[in-house]
Formats: sequence, structure tokens, C-alpha cells
Amino acid sequence: MPRILTVDDSAAMRQMVRVTLTSAGYDVEQAKDGREALDIANASTFDLVITDVNMPEMDGLTLVRHLRGMPSYRHTPLLVLTTEGSAERKMQGREAGATGWLVKPFNPDRLLATVAKVLK
Amino acid sequence: MPEIAQRTLRPVPPPVVRGFEQIQRFWEPDTQRWTVKILPGEYYVTRSDEAITTVLGSCISACIRDPVAKVGGMNHFMLPEDTTPRDGSARGAPVVLSTRYGSHAMESLINDLLKLGAVRERLEIKVFGGGRVLAAMTDIGKRNIDFVKSYLNLERLPITAQDVGGDQPRKVIYFPTEGRVRVRKLRPIEIRGISDREKLYMESLRAKDEGGDIELFT
Repeated sequence: MPRILTVDDSAAMRQMVRVTLTSAGYDVEQAKDGREALDIANASTFDLVITDVNMPEMDGLTLVRHLRGMPSYRHTPLLVLTTEGSAERKMQGREAGATGWLVKPFNPDRLLATVAKVLK
Repeated sequence: MPEIAQRTLRPVPPPVVRGFEQIQRFWEPDTQRWTVKILPGEYYVTRSDEAITTVLGSCISACIRDPVAKVGGMNHFMLPEDTTPRDGSARGAPVVLSTRYGSHAMESLINDLLKLGAVRERLEIKVFGGGRVLAAMTDIGKRNIDFVKSYLNLERLPITAQDVGGDQPRKVIYFPTEGRVRVRKLRPIEIRGISDREKLYMESLRAKDEGGDIELFT
């Protein structure tokens, strides 16, 4: 099963994303900010990273930029899952190298459909 | 002519945080504050000495501030009815379906405060509402209270003060710069309008069930 790293500073949000993904059989690892995510991503490999934007230590867009600069994550799908939905922020996400942008609150079935699509 | 006197004493409204320009404010002579009234599903944050008010039936409002950074705000939300099919056809777990709007309301408020300079460890959180005012088989107010408590527990954010439950609606006025909250219990005769509005809000949550926008860049 594909391995997914989810990054969010909110424990409640991490739980919701993890429960949703594991219910579909994915193998899920979690990080509470961009810095921790980068450490975990360095030590292991993932088929997909789903990250929040506003987090302490390192925000999600900085994380996306760092991951895109790493050979092992150059082609890995990187999804942003955030409360922010402005065109300006989405553009920043796109420029940072994100694969897609999902605005919270998320619908579990639609999240799973998007995950399946980008993992293909 | 006290009305004219009050009008001339009304100060210029304080600046609004970016993103909240559309929210209507009015001068409240009783509290001598510019005041924002928020409705179910809305939230508001401020850096100024304003008041935020709302009326709660079974809904919950969290009043949150950082006394050092001097920013504060309030939300107003409820969980939608748990309409998860019992046949197990929904792939996403039921807990996710029923609580995501509550989590979203809490996260939106907290995130905006952090963006304005609040520090998570300093957040002072007060929780109100969750009355048993909707005529329903299940105690919707209690579900909302249970949710907000478990959410804050999971986030390791302590509740400083609360006034929840009971069978009366509440009018809440929050003064974020002072952290003071004024709660007035409303009489049962005032329930009807509040529960009608909450029912409409609950229906709108059901309609929004598909969640936020999804955009793939490639």
C-alpha cells in the first residue's frame, strides 16, 4: 500500500486525515510541522505528502519547496490541505511546486478520490 | 436629546483585520464599544478594543485571545446531524464526517489569531452555549459541548472558563482586549427564533457536505 505523510499542527486535523486515509488502507505517518516533516521525509520515503499551510517552525509552502529540491521527492505528489482558499495563496502553492490544493473542511470520500488520482 | 448626544460621542470605528472588511459593525451605547454580531458559521478576530456578540441555542462559541499579543476572536458553530449510513457504506470514518465542521470552525479562528501574532501556549479560551433548545430526539447541544471539549483536549488547549448546557439560550458579549465575557440567559419565549436559525444553519451544513474546493495543478 502507498505510504502517505500528513503534516498539520492541529492534532485534531491530523487525526481526521489519518483516520480517513487508514480507512482506505493507506500506510500513514504524521508530522506536526514542516521541520518535523522534512526530517521524517529525509529518513524515509513516501508516495504522497499532504500538508497544511499555516504551521509553526516551518510552514507548508516552505516544506513543499524543500521537498521539490530533494531528488527523491522531485516527482512525488505533494498536496496542500488548508483553511486558506484565495487565488493568491493557491498561486503561491503552485509556484512552490504543489501538485494540488484542497480547501478545508474536507469531504473524506473526495479526499480519497483525489489521493487515488494523484497516486496513479 | 440623549440620542444626539450619544451620536456625537460615538468614536471612529477601529481598524478591521484584513479579510473581515465585509463584517458589519455597530456602535453599542450600553457597552460603549463598536460591536460585531456574528451568526452561525461565522467567526471574527480583532486587534482592537471592540465587542463581539452572538446568540447561542445549541450552538457553541469559543472566545479565544492572547492577552499579551492583544488579539482575540470568537466563532459560532455546531456539528451537523450524524447522517452516516449505518450499513458502513461511507468509507471515511463517521467521526470525520460529523466533526469536520467543528474542527474547521475552531482551526479557522485559532489560525487567524496565530497569524495576528498570538502564541498558542498563551491562548485563553472560554466556551459557551450547547443548550438543549432544539426539539430533537438527540441532545444536539450536548454533542456540541462534547465535541469542543474533546477537540481542545486533543489540541492540549485548556479551557479557562465555560458556561455550557442547560435549557436556555444565551446572549454572549465578548470583550477580547479585557477577556471579559458577559452572558445573559434568554427567556424560553425567545427560543423559537434562535432554534429556527440554527435549523437553517444545520440544513446549510448538510448542503455543504461535499467539503471545500479541490484543485489539481497538473
